[in-house]
Amino acid sequence: MTLSTPFQPTRRSVLGGLAAGGALALSPARFASAQSAAPIRLGFQLHRTGIGAAYGRWYERTTQAALKVLNEAGGINGRPVEVIFEDDGTDPRRGAEVVEKLATQAGCDLIFGALFSHVVVGSAPRAGELKIPYLVCSEGFHVASGTLNRWTLQPGITDVRAQVSSMAPWVTQNLGRKVTMLFPDYAFGHDHRDYFSAALKAQGGEILELVPIPPTETSFTRYFPRIPAATEVLYHVMVGPAVLSFVKELGEFYAGGGRPQIFGFIDSLEAVDTASPGLEFLEGTHFWEGHCRMRQADASEHEDFYRAAVGVDANGASVADARDVSTYAHMFSCWETLFVIRDAMVAAGYQGPADRQRLVEAVEAMTTMPLSREHVQGDKVFNGRTHQVFGHQYISRVEGGKLVRVHATAIEDSLYPDAVDYTAMAF
Amino acid sequence: MRPAPPGAGDDAGPTSLRPGGRVRAAAGGGILLALPGAAFACALPPSVILTLPTDLYIAGAAITVGVTALMGAAAGRLPRLEARLLIERRILLPRDLTSYASFLVFLGLCLAGLLGVRDPMHNLMTLIFWTGVWVGLPLASLLLGNLWRPLNPWHAPVRIARALLGRTRAAGLSRLGHWPAVAGLFGFAWFMIVSLAPDDPAVLATAALGYWTAIFLAAVLEGEEWVEQGEFLTVFFGLVARVAPFWLETGGGRARLMAGWPGTQVLAMAPLAPSGIAFVTLALAVLSFDGLVGTFWWMALVGENPLEFTGRSAVVLDNTLGLAAAWAATAAAILGALAVGRRLAGRRGGFATGPVMLSFLAIAAGYHAAHYLVTLLTAGQYTLAALNDPLLRGDALLGLPAVYVSLGFLADRGAMGAIFLSQFAAILAAHLLAVLLALHLARRGGAGGGVPGVAHLPLTALMVGYTVMGLWLLSTARVS
Repeated sequence: MTLSTPFQPTRRSVLGGLAAGGALALSPARFASAQSAAPIRLGFQLHRTGIGAAYGRWYERTTQAALKVLNEAGGINGRPVEVIFEDDGTDPRRGAEVVEKLATQAGCDLIFGALFSHVVVGSAPRAGELKIPYLVCSEGFHVASGTLNRWTLQPGITDVRAQVSSMAPWVTQNLGRKVTMLFPDYAFGHDHRDYFSAALKAQGGEILELVPIPPTETSFTRYFPRIPAATEVLYHVMVGPAVLSFVKELGEFYAGGGRPQIFGFIDSLEAVDTASPGLEFLEGTHFWEGHCRMRQADASEHEDFYRAAVGVDANGASVADARDVSTYAHMFSCWETLFVIRDAMVAAGYQGPADRQRLVEAVEAMTTMPLSREHVQGDKVFNGRTHQVFGHQYISRVEGGKLVRVHATAIEDSLYPDAVDYTAMAF
Repeated sequence: MRPAPPGAGDDAGPTSLRPGGRVRAAAGGGILLALPGAAFACALPPSVILTLPTDLYIAGAAITVGVTALMGAAAGRLPRLEARLLIERRILLPRDLTSYASFLVFLGLCLAGLLGVRDPMHNLMTLIFWTGVWVGLPLASLLLGNLWRPLNPWHAPVRIARALLGRTRAAGLSRLGHWPAVAGLFGFAWFMIVSLAPDDPAVLATAALGYWTAIFLAAVLEGEEWVEQGEFLTVFFGLVARVAPFWLETGGGRARLMAGWPGTQVLAMAPLAPSGIAFVTLALAVLSFDGLVGTFWWMALVGENPLEFTGRSAVVLDNTLGLAAAWAATAAAILGALAVGRRLAGRRGGFATGPVMLSFLAIAAGYHAAHYLVTLLTAGQYTLAALNDPLLRGDALLGLPAVYVSLGFLADRGAMGAIFLSQFAAILAAHLLAVLLALHLARRGGAGGGVPGVAHLPLTALMVGYTVMGLWLLSTARVS
């Protein structure tokens, strides 16, 4: 297999895309002649309604911003790009219907943007049957686990297994080795329980207690006495409407002192201002962040460009409303995925649906993705065999209500053995 | 009932390559799909409402409604509700004209739905219907009277069609009373609450065109006045707008702007026939169930994990049965309370179902306002943005700057506190008004000096229960 970086087209792509590429090189901000300037149509599977709507709103906004940047830079292979947003209701059955509609009725070249695991799992088989590239932004381990298909890729965001596992070394070295975990008692919480427990043990740490909490619970006080007094680190991943109650009640539980170090995932407070009244208890605690919500002192120029393009301020909130905090830790995936699509289409010399297979092969051929305007969250490494990207993870501490990064993991911290080789599968 | 939440109890090890948790995939009707444990589940934003002392508000409202009802029952005299004329003038815009213009707008919206952008939050068909017609217009009608009447998109087209066809006779549909509207409301509720994609612009436009055509054909056969009793939106607006403190009365080429305490018009209405009673109980049930269906409580009842709700496709049957059950429970509770009240009143009468049922219009109106307030504040922004720039070209037809839709208030303690207070006020005011109207209507029905106080107890208990349920629906943990 020919390997290439995203920005160095393969020999095949140079031959295949010579005409369009030439036009692009001569006039990068202009689209090619009318003959080949029909727009490239990308379908976006949007969680506009249903339980994913809070994310869908920011995914759309980020994608619109990326699209504008992409078109202003000349589109793809000299052609303008359109994104067709189709609501899937955050529902797997509708997800499959949306894939079909985007592929067959809207005539899209590929489909991207799905976030929720159950929608991805419900939609990917249809994408495989229709032989249309399906690029997801879902964090799920389902891509790298090998349960999906050759047409499904996750090049824009790391998966939860990598995220959770890579936290353990820093936690044990800096916060403590005796950990108690509070987690919602279903698959999401179980992933954290299992991946973190294993990574912690590998670091010589110890799980003192596992405290599963039923998903329908809205008051948590009765679970806290189960936290052993010897606990050095409390790991929590509570999510949902009752999170504010969880923080408030945990604060009341430790009002008399004796609070251990606390480590959580920002998923709990995604789109919530950490300086909100009632969250004071979080001061001094730590969070995983997929992408630092607050602008850090050493922010790259790319980071600033991205914030300005999406319309997000230094606190990760909308420039139009300081209370409107974005889903910052996740939404970069739409931005980065769109530029991966561009680079793959350039590399494949993509002209139309007949080139879809070459497009998938071009993504599979990607290896490193440097920190850039296109990869604003950080540099990454793509594993073509598992169709999964790997990158840095960030640990931030709440200081004065703001999330201040204290650690960035190395990409190597999050790697795990391949579970599949999609490149050996038939299209 | 369904099994435990998907994924619960799964023990796939971190290095295990086998799929972990299992979800009940909706596609394919209950097939279990293997899903690697990784579930993305940080969907639902934290709720500020859950941190507010809503229990105290609910208790306070319940006590207020109960005490008011008992005091009112014991009182010799009730506040009089009378209408007075504010302004009288010639009709400037004939209803035929406004109705026809509305019909043209409706066609335009359907075209936008069928041919416009697919994103429902940018498509005017979805936004105007769900935010304007179903939320904004009823709220405005609660204050200003029936605003649907001049905008009714059937009235003028039906008159024109009948004139062209030379048809003057009726086909006998009127004998069905409000039952066609009851069927229409049930179908609409199912579409809104249960069906998979009521927000999809093309789906909505297709449904709306189909429904418009069916009503049009029926009204051409029967006469344009039939729409007033057989079409659910027309009946719904005609009923809930009776609560308004201002309203327009027309006749003889003149329009009279009237004013009176909320509910004054309700006391002037004829008692409801059985089909009208069915319509009011269904309308109440639809609003309650629309609130209930997103609660954690309901999710647990139908075996869904609210933190990773599968989606509508997984609960079509549950929610269909739930909608029907909500109607049955609402009708049984109201009719039962009235029947017990009649029994307690004995020979002194009162509590005739037809008249007293009218008092529940206030509850329907108040709950509609409270329940959809947040929708108005969120989807309303998208609607304004879409009206400002309908073709997504960067236009500013309303003169608004191109701003981002802002939903930050949903996470703001002060703003959400104010919203809950508004909803609390709407629910409490609606129930107090309902109590007052029920007292009036019961006295009217009673033989001689009205009904004995004890006969009011069942209805009072029901009103208190309704108050508690309405506020609980607005304050409990929910997925939407």
